[in-house]
Amino acid sequence: MSAVVVAGPAPPSRKRRPVGKVVVFVLLLAGGLVFASVFVYAALSAVKPADEVLASPMRWLPTQWLWGNFTLPFEQAPFARYYLNSTVVGVAVTLLNVVTCTLAGYSFSKFAYRGRNLLFFVVLATLMVPLEVIYVPLYALVFDLGWVNSFAGLIVPSATSAFGIFLMRQSIDGLPDELLEAARIDGAGELRILWNVVAPMMASPMAALALFIFMTNWDSHLWPLLVGNDEEHRTLPVGLAAMQANNLGSGGIPMMMAAALLALLPTLLLFLVLQRKFVEGITMTAGIK
Amino acid sequence: MALTRTAPDRARGARARPPGSGRPGWRRRRDAVGLVFALPALALFAAFAIYPMLRVFQLSLYDYNLTSAPVWVGLDNFRFLFGDERFLASLGASLFYVVVTYGPAVLLALVLALGLNTRMRGSAFVRLLYFAPVATSWVAVSVIWRLVLQPEGLLNQTLNTDIPWLTSSTWAKWAIAIAAVWKEVGFFLIIFLAGLQNIPKDLQEAAALDGAGSLRRLRYVTLPLLKPITVVVLVMAVIRGFQSFSPQVVLTGGSFGTEVINLFVYKTAFASARMGRASAVAVLMFVLLLVVTFVQLRALRRSA
Repeated sequence: MSAVVVAGPAPPSRKRRPVGKVVVFVLLLAGGLVFASVFVYAALSAVKPADEVLASPMRWLPTQWLWGNFTLPFEQAPFARYYLNSTVVGVAVTLLNVVTCTLAGYSFSKFAYRGRNLLFFVVLATLMVPLEVIYVPLYALVFDLGWVNSFAGLIVPSATSAFGIFLMRQSIDGLPDELLEAARIDGAGELRILWNVVAPMMASPMAALALFIFMTNWDSHLWPLLVGNDEEHRTLPVGLAAMQANNLGSGGIPMMMAAALLALLPTLLLFLVLQRKFVEGITMTAGIK
Repeated sequence: MALTRTAPDRARGARARPPGSGRPGWRRRRDAVGLVFALPALALFAAFAIYPMLRVFQLSLYDYNLTSAPVWVGLDNFRFLFGDERFLASLGASLFYVVVTYGPAVLLALVLALGLNTRMRGSAFVRLLYFAPVATSWVAVSVIWRLVLQPEGLLNQTLNTDIPWLTSSTWAKWAIAIAAVWKEVGFFLIIFLAGLQNIPKDLQEAAALDGAGSLRRLRYVTLPLLKPITVVVLVMAVIRGFQSFSPQVVLTGGSFGTEVINLFVYKTAFASARMGRASAVAVLMFVLLLVVTFVQLRALRRSA
């Protein structure tokens, strides 16, 4: 990354700037470090002996570095199970969303059938209705289907998203119709065109969607608490909250910190690696191109 | 949000493809295949979004406990709620949470965005520090903040105070708001930064050439142009705020005046098995969110 790049003629006030800019930068950096200190504190607490975490006066560093604390969640709770469940549910929900949203986005963008605009409007209208409004009857439905405490209950109701369909439709709108016509003249069927022409060119929005859905799902707490609250089906948020409720004494704090850090690590790493896609996904939820 | 996007979209779709009745047969067959592509998503929406949406209105008029048949009670659920102190308190707790968390979070995000909207070396790293909490899950973060907010935790030790953050009716709601500001600032920062990048550079430069100092440029160029985004951000903030659940569950379990409306719905439906009454709260929440969104979008249209 280069230093300040100025396009065009420099405005007159540019000259005074550097000092002020540096001061602002130092303030922003200090604030950022305050934000990050929470993670550092959690990480250091995770490797402390239990009686040191709440010592007063506080010491940042442990006297003994107990790296073994990171295995405690796996020994004292079915943490591996929670991890596996979150991974299975997250991957399944993500794949299903990419498939259903791409299909629907393609349909709403490139075909003309009666009622298309109305259907798309109805899909968009559901954006106005958060899970928090509908989860009581949704739970009743899933209960009637016999899906309480099952992976079906955790996965199927989240298998598509209005935001994803909107995003895919907008992106596919940008594909020239001539491209599809050319493939049709070559005799390709619609499914083949979707797979060989549309999907490869939509790799970028599909990736942004996948990342967004996976991260949202990893964070999901309320719904899994309702339909997956036995030991077999608990995902990380549900399992973590249950562990917290069982470990309110200070003895369990290093283990809880280790568990929390292990739970947030995958999405944090994904974010660090795919930062631009992540930012893209969030800005699109606000409707900024 | 959805509604503002739709109008131009529909117009564009209609222009691109006039629904011609005189389409040839092959064309109609192809479009039928297109409809099939939308069916998986549409079926899922019908079952898991639209049906529950209609049903929540219906159930709000019934007494229902999941196992026996619903009993019609008319508006009794609503009548009960408006006289129920616990419901009114949860409404208050949610309003407090929305205002005290999202007011500071949005303001802080705006200030940070103005500062971080540079190509200065190192600003990418500083951004990461603020973004990181957004990429983590609420429950994990709340578990960490439980420790930070202990009487001998990081916050009290840093401020040199002795506040019972999580076990006092005075402080618990502030404690949750502090944790939530930390978690949410980055989200709005990302949106404001994107908004700032959409502002044409030449406008700033033209103002500078006319002799406007940086404060005047901020006041008369940048902030007015950020107004539409700010309204979208405020709508999102209110909706996010009313959805809050995890920090209250993990940090206080809803005690000490932190039982927000969503937690109240959860407890009413699943601890007391009063699905009808919980649905009535959900209906009220939906109406509230709709009104807030409408009012904010109207404010945007009037000022634009």
